Amino acid sequence: MQLFQGGSVHTFLKIDPRTKLFLLLVVNIIMINGSTAGAAAIYKPILACLPFVLLLTGKRIVAAFVYGIIFAMAWVTDQYLSGYLSGGINIVIALVSGLSTRWLPCGMMGYYLMATTRVSEFVAGMEKMHVSQKIVIPLSVMFRFFPTVSEESGAINNAMRMRGIRVGGGKGGVIAIFEYRIIPLIMSTVKIGDELSAAALTRGLGGEVKRTNFCSIGFGMWDILMFLLGTVFIALYFLL
Amino acid sequence: MKTNKIDAKDLINVGIFTVLYFIMFFISGMLGYIPIFALLIPLLIGILGGIPFMLFVTKTNKFGCVTLMGTIAGILCFLVGQSWISIPFGIVFGFLGDIIMKTGDYKSWGKTVIGYAVFTDWVIGSMLPMWIMRDVFFEQSSKQVSGEYLDALMGYTQNWMLPVVMVLGLVGGIIGAYLGRAVLKKHFERAGIV
Repeated sequence: MQLFQGGSVHTFLKIDPRTKLFLLLVVNIIMINGSTAGAAAIYKPILACLPFVLLLTGKRIVAAFVYGIIFAMAWVTDQYLSGYLSGGINIVIALVSGLSTRWLPCGMMGYYLMATTRVSEFVAGMEKMHVSQKIVIPLSVMFRFFPTVSEESGAINNAMRMRGIRVGGGKGGVIAIFEYRIIPLIMSTVKIGDELSAAALTRGLGGEVKRTNFCSIGFGMWDILMFLLGTVFIALYFLL
Repeated sequence: MKTNKIDAKDLINVGIFTVLYFIMFFISGMLGYIPIFALLIPLLIGILGGIPFMLFVTKTNKFGCVTLMGTIAGILCFLVGQSWISIPFGIVFGFLGDIIMKTGDYKSWGKTVIGYAVFTDWVIGSMLPMWIMRDVFFEQSSKQVSGEYLDALMGYTQNWMLPVVMVLGLVGGIIGAYLGRAVLKKHFERAGIV
């Protein structure tokens, strides 16, 4: 489990993190709220193609196609079949497809943002948007911490399996299985966190001076295009 | 040495505990994929989230930290594709919880329980689109959606369900706070983490 990328990322389209955030917001507002009838039945699927295309440019081919196929199936079910469905399992299918048409594009847009952006780039973008340090520092700590936590969690899981504390292992109930994993995880995370604070303070985090950032980000031609595209969709959404 | 201003160490703590809180959120959310359980998410997140949250409050007892945690949890929800409504909800409920705990100076147990219960209700933000969606379905219903599907959806998102979900969040928060304190006593104090 990793949010954002540690190393450099190769994409065909180099888009500024701020543009990606804007597009995520656009997809979010339009896809989650609002109907799928009338004019929305036309511009919503077009907007849903945006994460697909962007994922392709980010070389996430498999993810792009899986998303495309699921969304298409959900859209068809939601638009044309849901009126004819009846009976328990079909209602669940209709509900799932109804939810997928709304949430899946946002999820994939978020995935694109994280899969093609480095942590430092994201932080640089936040700083250029003049987001308070009180938000930026915890966020960057979080992005650094997700891989650490999943690594720790894997190690703890192995240890507990060896002791037989697992589903079907015969030792302890559900609560013990949960407790014996979560408590050590919290303990080790807090300890690592204390060490991280000490290290970060030594390196001048929280000082008076403005910190510099290695990543150079800025708007280019594609960013302008994407902003125009997003604005057009927002205008369509509010006017139609 | 102890000041009331939030320093870098507190901010790092906010980051760490939001990760832990979010893992609990994730576990509860997994159960929410089963449609009937979706309405139980606030209850579950309240109970599970209590464990990291109580430790968090004992470690950083300064005004603003809980607000920041709510804000950042909201932003993270937005980044993984939940509705943007999560962000204002995270800020508002985080702030409310913060104020309640502040009146008890982060030491009064009763105030902490109520504060955490209120804080838990920020989760409603990510569920709110379900209710907004329902009205949209109503609009559409004359045209194409009909039959049992609509009935199921309507039954699922009655207006009175919203307060029920909020109350579930509060109850979950209270249970979680007690669970968190029990865990704190059983494990963390003994280990010398607090």
